[in-house]
Amino acid sequence: MDSSIAQKTWELENNILTVEKPDPSSDSIFYYDEAAQAKFQQEKPWANDHHYFKRVKISALALLKMVVHARSGGTIEVMGLMQGKTDGDAIIVMDAFALPVEGTETRVNAQADAYEYMVDYSQTNKQAGRLENVVGWYHSHPGYGCWLSGIDVSTQMLNQQFQEPFLAVVIDPTRTVSAGKVEIGAFRTYPEGYKPTDDPISEYQTIPLNKIEDFGVHCKQYYPLDITYFKSSLDCHLLDLLWNKYWVNTLSSSPLLGNGDYVAGQISDLAEKLEQAENQLAHSRIGPLGPPRKKEESQLAKITRDSAKITVEQVHGLMSQVIKDILFNSVRQSNRSHNEQSGPEPMVEA
Amino acid sequence: MASSSSSGLTFKLHPLVIVNISDHYTRVKSQMNPPPPTSATSNSNNSNGGENNQSPPRVYGCVIGVQRGRTVEIFNSFELLYDPSTHSLDRSFLEKKQELYKKVFPNFYVLGWYSTGNDAEESDMHIHKALMDVNESPVYVLLNPAINHAQKDLPVTIYESELHVIDGIPQLIFVRSSYTIETVEAERISVDHVAHLKPSGGSAATQLAAQLTGIHSAIKMLNSRIRVLHQYLVGMQKGDLPCENALLRQVSSLLRRLPATESEKFQDDFLTEYNDTLLVTYLATFTNCSSTMNDLVDKFNTAYDRHSRRGGRTAFI
Repeated sequence: MDSSIAQKTWELENNILTVEKPDPSSDSIFYYDEAAQAKFQQEKPWANDHHYFKRVKISALALLKMVVHARSGGTIEVMGLMQGKTDGDAIIVMDAFALPVEGTETRVNAQADAYEYMVDYSQTNKQAGRLENVVGWYHSHPGYGCWLSGIDVSTQMLNQQFQEPFLAVVIDPTRTVSAGKVEIGAFRTYPEGYKPTDDPISEYQTIPLNKIEDFGVHCKQYYPLDITYFKSSLDCHLLDLLWNKYWVNTLSSSPLLGNGDYVAGQISDLAEKLEQAENQLAHSRIGPLGPPRKKEESQLAKITRDSAKITVEQVHGLMSQVIKDILFNSVRQSNRSHNEQSGPEPMVEA
Repeated sequence: MASSSSSGLTFKLHPLVIVNISDHYTRVKSQMNPPPPTSATSNSNNSNGGENNQSPPRVYGCVIGVQRGRTVEIFNSFELLYDPSTHSLDRSFLEKKQELYKKVFPNFYVLGWYSTGNDAEESDMHIHKALMDVNESPVYVLLNPAINHAQKDLPVTIYESELHVIDGIPQLIFVRSSYTIETVEAERISVDHVAHLKPSGGSAATQLAAQLTGIHSAIKMLNSRIRVLHQYLVGMQKGDLPCENALLRQVSSLLRRLPATESEKFQDDFLTEYNDTLLVTYLATFTNCSSTMNDLVDKFNTAYDRHSRRGGRTAFI
């Protein structure tokens, strides 16, 4: 197929490491080795090294479930638990399930209400053949990015004391839909008082003004982990075939219509940030500039980046609308030019 | 045994259900055939076939979703226990799981059950009947886990049960139903993400490329489908293929749907959206400009600081 050639060319040009297509023998990741897991629990290699876990592998199923659950919450934060196992310095997430608690940022012990549900669910799961243990929790930050708030940090620190190994995952369903790619982040906190030796360089993301203080205060207390995804050979096969059916949805999806509120919110937030930046710059005009700060960008540069991001997403949305218009609506133009009265012509010429 | 259904219900299936069933099957299969302790990947293609080469296991589960009028939409699914002694599904387990799922997804009802295998079997009717007291007309979703690369169609079939009179005795038999795949935007993006392992993050250029590639593949599919139709119609015209009026009517109705929308209001809305996007681009360019100007002024101030002796005292022209 031409599309596969095009994809390979693009992948090559962008230095993308292709993950090998999983074959049945590599489905071994799905096997739960109880003895090995119990041994690992006893050894506790993470107790000495606070930066022990570096990677996360999420299964296709877990990702799908988490994103769908997060999106179904709308603008309300939702949360759930993840099940899986560990593998050296990686935490493997096999499955996820939702918890019936309404997430509000002020409730620290929302999990206390859900304990009964969790116990029930884990028991029934074990009976049904899902042997893994709970290995982390996830929650959503609809519209304001993937990071840990103050409450999240304290919850996670508590978890890491008593329920190791534990992972925190944050998903932003609004940004996922707006940007067309999955917004997800996996984090582990440092214990109280521990200062990381080197400054981890995290990917920049825009945070709305009302949350930026919360973000700044706590951003040094946790570190992000690399996320990779895996799927079984059967999943691979099914997803390929699925494409044959849902290409229609790809074409008919319209991100502009769904996300109007979110974009408006982003722009007004940007306007507020601009005002703040203006005040900041007005003060610094008085004296000569201090020593040039290489790492931190000025407020204005950050705003520029944010505005570029919003624009890019808008333009993408508009592009797909224009393409659809040309594809499906341009018949009227050719009809008018040919001035024929016979029935509509087929759109694609031989 | 399976003919086409005539109940008139339309079925919509979400990809989450398919991935769920596939994952359940893979898990059970890999627990039965544990991988060799030294997991060497190169020569171990036959390792799974070595010791426990059992036939692929059948897994069972329940599908839940919403039924609105004539449309049945299957959103999610969960596993169930199969009791081989009574040849039926564990009822108390089902109820317990149903309760749990009701707490999180209060809108979803049990719509039917699923299983893996090649074709619907006689014993399945037993399970189907048992489920009928939960839902009067449950659906049976069957996934064929055998990976057949020549197959172009999704190996998932949906069966309904219908009362047919065979040899004078009214019996329930399975009839096949057609279904469409339905996704929400977020589901589509994550399925896309996992299926094609698109790179996340990266510069605007890679994002643009990803977006355009997606649309391009979709349009390519549309094009190939239309070509198939076109060839079929040409064949019919030449007389190679038998003339099928039902199909011709469908094609004709498809063509009459173009142009998709032709009203004035659509044009207005479309142009408004277009203008809005252009406005946003204009604002962003403005911001970019002012930021660059600001940097320039800062650099100028640093280089030509009036209060120090270093730097040029000459005026900047």
